[in-house]
Amino acid sequence: MRFSSFIRKLKKIAGRDAVLDRSEDLMLYEYDGGIQTASPQVVFFPQTTEQVCRAVKLANEAEVAIVPRGAGTGLSGGALARQGGLVLAFSRMNRILEIDPDNQRAIVQPGVVNLDLSHAAAPYGLYFAPDPSSQKACTIGGNVANNSGGPHTLASGVTVNHVTGIEAVLPNGRVVEFGGKAADGCGYDLTGFFVGSEGTLGIATKITVKLMRLPESVATLLAIYNTIEEAANSVVAITAEGVTPAALELLDGWTLRTVEAATHAGYPMDSGAVLLIEVEGMREAVEDQAEAIRQVCRQQGAREVRRARDDHERQLLWAGRKNAFGAVGRISPSYYVQDGVIPRTRVPDTLRRIEEIGKKYSLTIGNIFHAGDGNLHPLILFDPRDADQTKRTLAAGKEILSYCVSVGGSITGEHGVGMEKNEIMGLLFSDDDLDVMQRLHDAFNPASTLNPQKMFPSTRSCREIAASPVLTQAVIEGNRPGAQV
Amino acid sequence: MNAVAAQAPVAEELARIAGSHALIKDDNLETYRVDGMVPAAVVMPESVEQVAEVLRFANAEKLVVVPAGGFTQQQTGRVPERIDVVLSTTRLAGIQHYDAGDLTIGAAAGTTLAQLDAALAANGQFLPVDVMMPERATIGGVLASAAHGPLKHGYGGVRDFCIGVTFVTGDGRVAKGGGRVVKNVAGYDLMKLMIGSYGSLGVIASANFKVFPRPGNKTGTSTFVLEFPSLREAMQFRDKLRASALTPICCEIVSPRASEYLSEKQGTAREVEEIEPGSFSMKSASANRAWQILLRATGSERVLERYRRELGGKEVRGREESELWRRVANFQAGVVDRHRNAMLMAVSLPPTAAENAIVAAEKAGLDNNLLAPTIGRVAVGAMVMAFVPLSVDPPSAMQFANAASAFRATLPRDASAVVLRCPQEAKAYFDVWGTSPTDLGLMRAVKRALDPNNILNRGRFVV
Repeated sequence: MRFSSFIRKLKKIAGRDAVLDRSEDLMLYEYDGGIQTASPQVVFFPQTTEQVCRAVKLANEAEVAIVPRGAGTGLSGGALARQGGLVLAFSRMNRILEIDPDNQRAIVQPGVVNLDLSHAAAPYGLYFAPDPSSQKACTIGGNVANNSGGPHTLASGVTVNHVTGIEAVLPNGRVVEFGGKAADGCGYDLTGFFVGSEGTLGIATKITVKLMRLPESVATLLAIYNTIEEAANSVVAITAEGVTPAALELLDGWTLRTVEAATHAGYPMDSGAVLLIEVEGMREAVEDQAEAIRQVCRQQGAREVRRARDDHERQLLWAGRKNAFGAVGRISPSYYVQDGVIPRTRVPDTLRRIEEIGKKYSLTIGNIFHAGDGNLHPLILFDPRDADQTKRTLAAGKEILSYCVSVGGSITGEHGVGMEKNEIMGLLFSDDDLDVMQRLHDAFNPASTLNPQKMFPSTRSCREIAASPVLTQAVIEGNRPGAQV
Repeated sequence: MNAVAAQAPVAEELARIAGSHALIKDDNLETYRVDGMVPAAVVMPESVEQVAEVLRFANAEKLVVVPAGGFTQQQTGRVPERIDVVLSTTRLAGIQHYDAGDLTIGAAAGTTLAQLDAALAANGQFLPVDVMMPERATIGGVLASAAHGPLKHGYGGVRDFCIGVTFVTGDGRVAKGGGRVVKNVAGYDLMKLMIGSYGSLGVIASANFKVFPRPGNKTGTSTFVLEFPSLREAMQFRDKLRASALTPICCEIVSPRASEYLSEKQGTAREVEEIEPGSFSMKSASANRAWQILLRATGSERVLERYRRELGGKEVRGREESELWRRVANFQAGVVDRHRNAMLMAVSLPPTAAENAIVAAEKAGLDNNLLAPTIGRVAVGAMVMAFVPLSVDPPSAMQFANAASAFRATLPRDASAVVLRCPQEAKAYFDVWGTSPTDLGLMRAVKRALDPNNILNRGRFVV
C-alpha cells in the first residue's frame, strides 16, 4: 500500500479532522518532556477501541510502525515515533466510563488526565493515588505504559499497584482483556505484566483502576537544613525509625532557591537543603507520625521544622515541588533529568558522588527527588546549542546512573527506559535476562510493529530495523542534540 | 517411554548435575506424590546454575518437571499428565542480603517464611505474608501460588512488595526481573508473571522484597472481635468501616461455621467429628451462630483508643491475639485436619460481590450435602471458602464438582474461584481453575515463550 493511500484510508476511520499529516502539525508530536526528538509521519486521534483496531490493522497492511501517545509528558522518549510512522494520540479517548465508589474502582479510557480522575472521584471521598508531577496533563494510559510514580507513591505504591484490569489492542489488531474489578484473578497476571511495558506489548484502550479513600488528616512538614548531608541523613533515619511518610521529598539549596524565585512557595532562600514530608491517614496516627518525624529531623540537625497550617500553605509547598522542573527551565536553556534509584541508606554518599561528577564535567546539577524511596532526579543544566556541553551532560548522566547501579540501584525509577536508556540496559540486565524479556516481547509484538526500537539495546534489535520502504523513506530523527543517547 | 524405564538414566544424569546426595532415594519417592502420582525422580539442586542444568537436561529429554517448595500447596492444580522429576528447592535456601536500614531483603526460593521472619524480627521488621504453615511454606511457593493471609487487607499481596526475582525458564535460561530497590521500572515486570503462575513458567530461584516495620514493635496492636446476628449486618458494618477513616491492618470475616475451625480445641489431637445428616439444625443451634468480623489495628495507645471508641466489641491483645491470627491463617489446614475430603476455594471478587458469594456458597454447598464455612479479607474481596461433607458417608466426586459449578455460576464475570484442593477423584469432573477474565490465547503465548517444550507442571495449570 502506498503511504498516500494509507493516509486516505486512515481519514475514513474517524473523519479528516482525526488525522494530522502536514509537517507543521507533526512538529508538535516530535517532542515529549525529555531531550530527544523523532517525528511521526502521521497522527491519528481515535475515539473508540474499534477505531484503534481499524487503524492498527490498516497500519499493518501498509507496514507502518505504530506508537501510542498520551499527553507526551514522558521523559524517556517512549511516545516518540523513533522509526517514523503512525502516532496514535489518545487525547480524544478521554472519557471516565465508570466510577464505582462501592468497589473503589474506576474504568477509564487511556486519554483521561490523571488529575481529572481524582477530581471526578473526590465527591465520593476517593482519589487515584499515583501523582506524577505532570498530573495536570499526563494521562492514565501514559501512567500505565510507564508504571508512573510520583511523590505520594512512597506509601501507596506506583501505578501497577492501582491497576486491576486492562483492555488492550494487540499489534495484530486483536482486542484482549486482562483482569477486571477483582484485585486478583486466576491465570497469569498479564495486567501487572502489561503495566510498565512502555507501549511495546499492546495499546491499552480501557483501564480499571483502584481508587483510594481520601485521608482524614494530612500533615505537611518542611524540615530546613544548613547542609544537604543533614537532610540526607534524616532520610535514612526516618526510614530506620519505621515511619512511612506518604511523601518524602528532598530539594537541595540550589534547586530550592530556583524554585522559590519562580513560585514563592515559602522555601527559605538561605538553606542548604529542605525535606518536604507528608504524613496522612487517621488523625491520631498523623499526629504521632508528624511528631516522630519532627524529632528525627531535629536530631539530625534540622534548624527548623515547619508545619503547613492550612490547606493553602500545604498547596503552596507542593506547588514548589511539582513546578520545580518548570522553574529550572526559566534559568537554563535546557536540562537533562536523571531518574536513578539507590537504596535509601545510600542517599548521602550518592549525593556526594553527584556533586563530584558535576565538578568533573563542569556542569551545574540540581537535586530534587523522591528521597523516601531513593529515586533521584538530578537535573543537569545545559545548552543544547553547545555541542561540547551537551556531550559532557550525557556523559555525566551516564556516570550518575552507573553509580546508582554500582550501589545496588536502578537506571530508572519511574520515567521508563524508552529510547533514552535502552542502550544502557546492559548495566542492569544480562544477555539472558534481555533474551527472556525479548521472547515475551515477541509473544505480544512479534514483528515489532508497535513502538519499535524502544527499551531493548539496539544491538539486539537489528532485525527490526530492516523495515518497509514506507518507513525508511521518511525517518526523521535526531535533529536535536541528545537524540543518540 | 514410561516413567519406570526412564528412571535409571534420568537419576544418573541428575546425580551427575547435582550430586548423588541431591537425589531422593527410591523408598522415599512416595512422599513426593502429587495427586497420587509418584515422581520418577526427586532432585534438590543447591544453586541456580544446577537448577538451570537440570532444566536444560529435562527440556532436551522432554521430561515433565514439577517445581516444589514446602509441599504445602501441591494439591492445587489439575491432575498431572505425568511427573518425571520433582525439582525441590529445599536446599536452595538462605537469606542472600538484608539491609534493615533500607527495609529490603533477598532470599533463596527454598527459604521458609519462618526463617525469613526470624531474620526480620531481629530488627523489628516483617514481611506481611501470613499464610498457613510458615515453618514449611517457602518464599518460592508463596510467590508461585500468590498465597496470602489476613494481612492482605492492609498491606496488599506479594505482588505489591516483591521487588525482584530470579528464575529459570523451562529451557534452562536464568533470568531476572526487577532488582533490590523499592522503586524500579527498568525492563519488563517479570515478578508479576511469576506470581501466581504455579511453577508453570519457570522455577523461582530467589526473590527480593520490601519489608515493613513490625506491628507491635514500637507501637501496640489490638484485635477487635465484632459479632453480628446476620451476614447482612456484618456486611453493613464492613461498608461503614470502608467509608470511615479507620485503617486496620486486617479485616477478616468469619462465618459461624468457620469459627469452629478457629476454636481453642483446634490444632490439638482432637477426634474427627463429622456432622451427621439430619442433625444440622440442632448442631447449628448449639454452635456459635454469630457472624464475626475480626479487625486488627496498630498504632499508639491514642490510635487504639479511637478504635475502642468507634468499634466497641471484645478486644484481644498480646499472646491471645497472635494465637487468634495464627489460627485464622491456618484455617485451610484446620479444615483439612478435620475433613480429609474437604474442598477449599480461593475466591477473588469485587468487594460488593462478597455478600452474594457467601450466600451462594452456602446454598451450593447445602444443595450438594456440603457445608461452606467461609473466612476472608472481605473488604478487599479475597475469600477462602471450604466445602466440607455434611454426612459421615464418603462424599461422591460429583458433589464437589456440582457445588463448585453451581457456586461459580453465581459470580460476576471478572471474579475467579480457584479450587485450592479437593479430593483427587473429583478433579476429573470439573476444572479446578474455573474461568479467567484474562485472555487465554495470550496466556498460552506467554507459556510458550518461557517454557517452549511445556515441561513445567504440564497439564496442571490454566494453560
